[in-house]
Amino acid sequence: MYRFRFYLQRALFWIALVAFLVIIVAPIYWMVITSLKNPREVISPIPTLFPHAPTLQNYGNVFSAGIWRNFYNTVVVAVSSTATAIVLAFLASYALVRFRFPLKINRLFLIWVLVVRILPPIVLAVPLFTVFNQVRLINTLAGLIIAFQIYTLPYSIWIIYGFLKSLPLEFEEAAMIDGASPGRILICIVAPLVRTGVIATSIFSLILAWNEFLFALLFVRTPRLLTLPVVISRYIGEYSTQWGELMAIGLMASLPILIFSNLVYRQLTQGFSMSLK
Amino acid sequence: MRNTDRLAHNAFFYAIFAPALIIILFLTTYPIGTILRDSFYEYDFIRGTRFFVGFDNYRHIIGEELFQRSFQNTVIFTFAASFLEVFLGVLIAFLLYGEFRGKRAASLVIIFPMIISTMVICAIWQIFYHYEIGLFNYLLGLVGAGPVGWLTDRQMALFSVILVDIWQWTPFAFLIIQAGMGSIPRELFEAARIDGARSSQIAFRITLPILSGQILLVLMLRTLDTFRLFDKVYALTGGGPANSTQTLSFFIYREGFSFFNFGRASAASVITLFFVAFLALFYVRKLLREDD
Repeated sequence: MYRFRFYLQRALFWIALVAFLVIIVAPIYWMVITSLKNPREVISPIPTLFPHAPTLQNYGNVFSAGIWRNFYNTVVVAVSSTATAIVLAFLASYALVRFRFPLKINRLFLIWVLVVRILPPIVLAVPLFTVFNQVRLINTLAGLIIAFQIYTLPYSIWIIYGFLKSLPLEFEEAAMIDGASPGRILICIVAPLVRTGVIATSIFSLILAWNEFLFALLFVRTPRLLTLPVVISRYIGEYSTQWGELMAIGLMASLPILIFSNLVYRQLTQGFSMSLK
Repeated sequence: MRNTDRLAHNAFFYAIFAPALIIILFLTTYPIGTILRDSFYEYDFIRGTRFFVGFDNYRHIIGEELFQRSFQNTVIFTFAASFLEVFLGVLIAFLLYGEFRGKRAASLVIIFPMIISTMVICAIWQIFYHYEIGLFNYLLGLVGAGPVGWLTDRQMALFSVILVDIWQWTPFAFLIIQAGMGSIPRELFEAARIDGARSSQIAFRITLPILSGQILLVLMLRTLDTFRLFDKVYALTGGGPANSTQTLSFFIYREGFSFFNFGRASAASVITLFFVAFLALFYVRKLLREDD
């Protein structure tokens, strides 16, 4: 009896695991095989699990349509907005940890940063569009990099602040006695100590910026300057029969992110429970 | 410290704090101020003028069926998606409790949905949901059921959008709850077993109460995130059919960027902010308490 129960439990466990994994993998698998099908097979009413005649035609088409340009835009925007956020967040967090600003600014600022992470971004998009238009930041990648700080900066501040707060004062005091300037202490002593936090924050920020859709959609209109998520949304809307090409772009947009999955998993399980979004 | 030294010391901290402060104020505080002001004005976009209308924008919007529908859909989506995600996440965490071979590899696969771009995910699900060539209708056909208009049927569309969100974010709930379960000492379960507790008793009397903090946190994160639903509606349904998937974010987007009714967009934004503030109050207090 006990033996039977044991086997039943094991069987249930594996069935649940396999079902869960299949449900997660199926859409991604579908994307891969659809990108390898020829246009006729894609729109066949009987879906095929394997492409009958695998072809790279879809990839050829999207490359010759100039998808590299959009890929490049996405890289530039993701990397620059992450770098900007990390530098600004590191400087500001250090000031917040080691200095008491008047009027309870420290606490108010941190609360505000949390609030910003919660706001629906569309609420900010309408008024910001007018301002960005006046200073000619609409339709530029620089404009997107600044707008993305709405996501990346509050997030980076909150995480790096947490890391800096747990840092002991002794190293900085020792350096100060040796006559190092505050700027030197910051770069040579503090920065190396929070390296792990900075790396973790960068990865999450990169993913956030790589996938961002709302501001990328609203603030850039020229096809040459679009980022990949917006290109994909245009494909869904306009060329709704080019599923193969759409899936090829989708895979291109996903591969650089999937490389990070190992790191993301480690951060998540290390108790960064609040930090993904 | 001498006086000049102290001054330099202070100036240094002000200087490194300023850039982030200015950017945050420029990107968030200023726009929110603008919204609050604009919500009391009516804009004539062609003449480029505006005039004060008091609470008219609010009154009109609240009375409109489209806005009510958007609000209702947002609430349905938020609660259905976040509760189901957390429920499924807990369920799967219970089923997959313990160590097994390939756990690490499985976990790596499990985070795929939440790191891939929402647009890519929507593109894939568009194919699944397709009326003629979609996998779902094909499978339904195999068991003899008629095709379903997943994204074109008024009764189905919102449900279909919820389903995509569940696929994308259940793994997130699962991972956090699994991490929480992993940190409960095993001895606790063994002791309960020796005392004669059944599995269901252990689950409801021991595991769930210990995990309640974590479950609440995931639930809050998902609630705040689902409340801003925009991308999926834009890519999957465009708010249709017959406004059955309109949401608050989508309403603001259309008023602001399609009709250039800044006054109405702002009034809708203020109402949205009001509800988010209500949801967030709880969340901010909890996180700040952890911080102290």
